Amino acid sequence: MIQAFLLSFKLAALTALVLLVFGVPLAYWLAFNDFRGRRLLEALLLLPLTLPPTVLGFYLLLLLSPDGPLGKIGLRWAFSFAGIWLGSIIFSLPFALTAYKEAFRAIDPEVLDVVRTLGVSRWKRWRKVILPWIWPGLLSGTLLAFAHTLGEFGVVLLVGGNIPGKTRVASIYIFDLVQALDFEAAHQAAAVFVALSFALIYAVRSLEERWKSRTGSSNR
Amino acid sequence: MEIAYRIEQPLRLDVELQVRGLTALLGGSGAGKTTLLKALAGLVPANGRPFAGLPPEKRQVGYLPQGYALVPHLTAAENVALALPDDGGSAVSLLEKVELAHLADKLPGELSGGQQQRVALARALARKPRLLLLDEPTSALDAISRDSALDLLESLSRSLKLPVLIVTHDPYVASRCDHVGVLENGRIAQAGNPEDVFQRPATVSIARMVGFSNIFSGVISEITDSGVVLSVGEKRFRVETPNRPPPGSRVDWGIRPEEVMVVRPDRPLPQELRGNVLTVTVERMQKRGAGYCLQLGGELPLSMLLPRHVQDRLRLTEAASIEVVLKPRYIHLFSASD
Repeated sequence: MIQAFLLSFKLAALTALVLLVFGVPLAYWLAFNDFRGRRLLEALLLLPLTLPPTVLGFYLLLLLSPDGPLGKIGLRWAFSFAGIWLGSIIFSLPFALTAYKEAFRAIDPEVLDVVRTLGVSRWKRWRKVILPWIWPGLLSGTLLAFAHTLGEFGVVLLVGGNIPGKTRVASIYIFDLVQALDFEAAHQAAAVFVALSFALIYAVRSLEERWKSRTGSSNR
Repeated sequence: MEIAYRIEQPLRLDVELQVRGLTALLGGSGAGKTTLLKALAGLVPANGRPFAGLPPEKRQVGYLPQGYALVPHLTAAENVALALPDDGGSAVSLLEKVELAHLADKLPGELSGGQQQRVALARALARKPRLLLLDEPTSALDAISRDSALDLLESLSRSLKLPVLIVTHDPYVASRCDHVGVLENGRIAQAGNPEDVFQRPATVSIARMVGFSNIFSGVISEITDSGVVLSVGEKRFRVETPNRPPPGSRVDWGIRPEEVMVVRPDRPLPQELRGNVLTVTVERMQKRGAGYCLQLGGELPLSMLLPRHVQDRLRLTEAASIEVVLKPRYIHLFSASD
């Protein structure tokens, strides 16, 4: 059980990290720029919200298999950790991106404009104005992506299969136990999940409250 | 400082204006006042002097938008420090200049509108601007804070020898400035001392902007030593004016509501003023500040302001019939082209 949970944590943490590093600039770009095809791009990025995880997993499996288009160029990631990592990133991107974009949208663009007229450099604007303004939003988006990755099942199962220590994450582990009618062990693992998920969602909600009270104190 | 700016988007403006001391840019809503300020701050693309082509970071301009745009999660002192170079300058000493040093550790949300404005002012000064731009600085303030804000701007402008451009639609603010420019149809339609603009507005629309609510048309019937005789229907008004259109020309003319006077029955007017008297009835009477605003009907539909001490003596009521006089020197002729 511990092995499965550790793998889940590793997967969720690495997924959240990638989303934080690449999702924040992407969200900033989407929040403050208008360009042709923006709606199309956003719809594409948000698609995993409505797609059944098995569909996403199925196509990733085809793409990443040794004969698939990505497999042929060296990305033979089917049934590997890299494969479920990529799947998790795509699957959790809508959650992180929506939260990050909300965070940026709460910034009054006029404040950023006026701060520019004060002669504040770009680096200092991010450090002193933008990041301190939105960090609770960024953190809550990242935690949400983390929690969402922990609970994911369909994508991981299809892309990664069920290899202990490599791709068998906690949710699949529970599925296995139930299949084997070992309800006692399944209970234990499931209870851990309930507690974990509750703690994470609670943290996200508290951050959102805190973030709202901050942006609410703006003088608009 | 002389500014000359040409803007294409979001609306066309071609503006030349002297900014000295406190200068008001007066204009109706949608005239482009805010756009001009943003262009001067480098936030709207434009051509012109000074600062042409520089990004906002490089312009020595202090810009205060209507909402002040303080950073909500930084204290007053931190907001000011944002504009200071890393190696020095004291945020608190700048807050002292705006008499706010005791609130240095407060967040913007904990300050009143007037206090936020002064923090924004201190922050703009931290940048050592050569020009200060303020967008409707008094629109959110009550009458007392409005006066103290203007007092502060006046003393800062004098002590720092800093030209200040104040965008406003409030004639009172303009009347307190050293210089006024009126923005209309994308250009400066009139500029000068507030006295000139208020007493001799160049066009009917500027007249409305600076508080002329009685605007009528008439025909010049005669030229006199001191001005003209203006005929309006059956009436012949004497007008003192240096501007003497030839007899027969149609003109627009007006009188400020505070310059319409009630004729006191116990004090007969000199003979030459009798022609400027109108018999009217009080149709509506409203409290306006410490006095009253009267809508008059009869020979001319006028509005007038009645100070309280006059009302205390006259005790007018609605439907009362009174005589009012339009004194020759208070009647203003607009240029005939309007």
